[in-house]
Amino acid sequence: MAEEKNTNVSYTSEDAVAEKLNIMQTIHKGLCKFGSWLGFGSKYYKSDKRRKKLFFDIITYTILVAFSFIMIYPFWWMLAASFAGNQDAMLNMAWWPSYTAADNPSLGGFFKNYENVFVIAARSSGTNFWQATGITLVYSLVPVTVGIITSTMAAFAFAKLNFKGRNVMFFYCLAAVMVPGPSLMIAQYCIYTSIGWTQNGLAMIIPGCFGAIMTAFFIRQYLYSMPTAIIEAAKIDGAGYWRIFWTFIIPLAMPAITAQFILSFIGCWNNYLGPLFFVENNAWKPLALLNAQFPDYNATVDLYASRMAISVLALLPVLILFAVFQKWILGSIMLTGSKE
Amino acid sequence: MQEQVISAQEAAAEGETFAESEVLAVLEAPKKRRINRAVLSENLWGWFFISFLVLGTTIFIYFSFVLSVWLSFLDYRGTGGTFWDALGRGSNDALYWYRYMFNTTITNAAGFEVDGGWAYFGSSLLNTVFYLVGIPVGMAVSLFFAALMSRDIKGAGTFRVIYYIPTVSSIVSITILWQNLFGVGGVMEDLFNTSFMGGDQWMQKLTVLILTTWKGLGGSILLLCAGMNGVNESHKEAASIDGANAWTTFWRISLPQLWPTIFYCIVTSFIGGMQIFTEPELIFGNVVTDGAAYQGVTAFVGIIYGYFGASEYHWYSYCSALGIILMIIILLLTLVQFWLNRKQEA
Repeated sequence: MAEEKNTNVSYTSEDAVAEKLNIMQTIHKGLCKFGSWLGFGSKYYKSDKRRKKLFFDIITYTILVAFSFIMIYPFWWMLAASFAGNQDAMLNMAWWPSYTAADNPSLGGFFKNYENVFVIAARSSGTNFWQATGITLVYSLVPVTVGIITSTMAAFAFAKLNFKGRNVMFFYCLAAVMVPGPSLMIAQYCIYTSIGWTQNGLAMIIPGCFGAIMTAFFIRQYLYSMPTAIIEAAKIDGAGYWRIFWTFIIPLAMPAITAQFILSFIGCWNNYLGPLFFVENNAWKPLALLNAQFPDYNATVDLYASRMAISVLALLPVLILFAVFQKWILGSIMLTGSKE
Repeated sequence: MQEQVISAQEAAAEGETFAESEVLAVLEAPKKRRINRAVLSENLWGWFFISFLVLGTTIFIYFSFVLSVWLSFLDYRGTGGTFWDALGRGSNDALYWYRYMFNTTITNAAGFEVDGGWAYFGSSLLNTVFYLVGIPVGMAVSLFFAALMSRDIKGAGTFRVIYYIPTVSSIVSITILWQNLFGVGGVMEDLFNTSFMGGDQWMQKLTVLILTTWKGLGGSILLLCAGMNGVNESHKEAASIDGANAWTTFWRISLPQLWPTIFYCIVTSFIGGMQIFTEPELIFGNVVTDGAAYQGVTAFVGIIYGYFGASEYHWYSYCSALGIILMIIILLLTLVQFWLNRKQEA
């Protein structure tokens, strides 16, 4: 009896605390067990590295996949929107337009928005889609190809040849990077207009052919890490510098050259500010200008979905190029540190 | 054995000195001339190889820059003779455009009080600075993703490719896409239940900010990934042996070694960010040509383009003056960044 009473009394004071502690301990133990299941170590369980890695891997994948969706979704939306029947259907859709171009009798046809790109742009813009594409190709290929050769030539001289004034000229070129493009464009425009280059597209072609400073700089960095012995050996065998350049330097610097080529090509293809300032002749307008000015050409037809169509068409070549060469492109960015 | 080796070496040394002295004696004069010719040809070829780049830099950058500065002191509007005539004429009031851009009212050459350029120029400065806000945010997010991607997981390369797609995409296409995605009645309005493009100027700026951050993420992630690969593995290992967990290792080991990459990203992003043009221009419009409704969005280069392209202006001198100011701002901004970074460099 006495014992029972005793326990009853103590139950209200100390045992309650003990039980609380017990409960806390159980919860703690449970949490630790849960933690151990995820791989965390604790007082009761050893940490499990494999489990822990798996746990964090799952979190990593979840976040990365979720943000991949954010990165991709606008592109899907653009593609789906290019098939929309009218502006309302396009703006309101999340995944697929409820009213496609095939449903709209005034359009009549699933690919009608794409057809409009070819027809309407040809009617009143002074150019057409294929012409603009060809001109974009010229603006991208010619300056980049010639420019990368002249850049590599300069890079070779700066990296491997000893001549008087090398360092002075190197800094002379490098200092020019500090002047931002828009600060020069007005004066350049005035020069190009006075010699007629804004009317025949030469303003977009000639300047690039002299090479780009940053391209030359990155190829120089790449050549710098290359041993000089091969050039010495070629010299002893009687090769001139011109021959050394074409038979040794170009193949050796090929990874850097290819990378810079693709990056410059994409940069030129997407260039909007340059042609906006320097191309005044409709026939020489590149795709970026045609794309941006597309709605100006016709106000009577509902062209909103067609704008998306021409955007898709302008984007496609670059995306294909990127998909094919992604390993080189990403590798080169990581190699050279240039961002675009 | 040893003797043989020594004798062989001696023989070789003797033979060498003998041969060398004889060669020197016989070929002294021609050899000297040959060296001169080699040096000369290396000099000539060196200058030939750099000539294209140097010529291009001189004409299209330095010469253009000098003309740009000269032009900003004149009043050339594309009329009254050629550009070269205008350059030769000079100006009575060289600093007119610089005073014009910083004043709300100004007395022009004819003696009339006219509106100055500060209203548009000042607002464009404010807008550009607001667009720069996205850079630190983007850097933090990119750092987070770079840390995730540099974990030892399968398919990290695939994620890098996916995150880089917006960066390579045509800016015009993306901007037109944004105009509809975030447009009035667009799907993003429904999703977030606010109006982006149709909202007040801050929401409009935010629309541009989302676009630039989204588009710029891939580039910085890639550079930071490359930087992460360069972090010294043995330092990390040493830290983990000393009992540091992953969190501490990241802050104490990876981040300091990554700092040059982060700094490079920030500097280049600020230089690029000051020149933002296409996004606000194509999503909304230009305050100079399309009216004051766009005063809250047009960026610095947008003002330059407005006064350049609009047929009622063609104020080429004013545009040049703005361009010079842009260059000074970018230069100062970069210098300040390097000044703030001086402790890390030391």
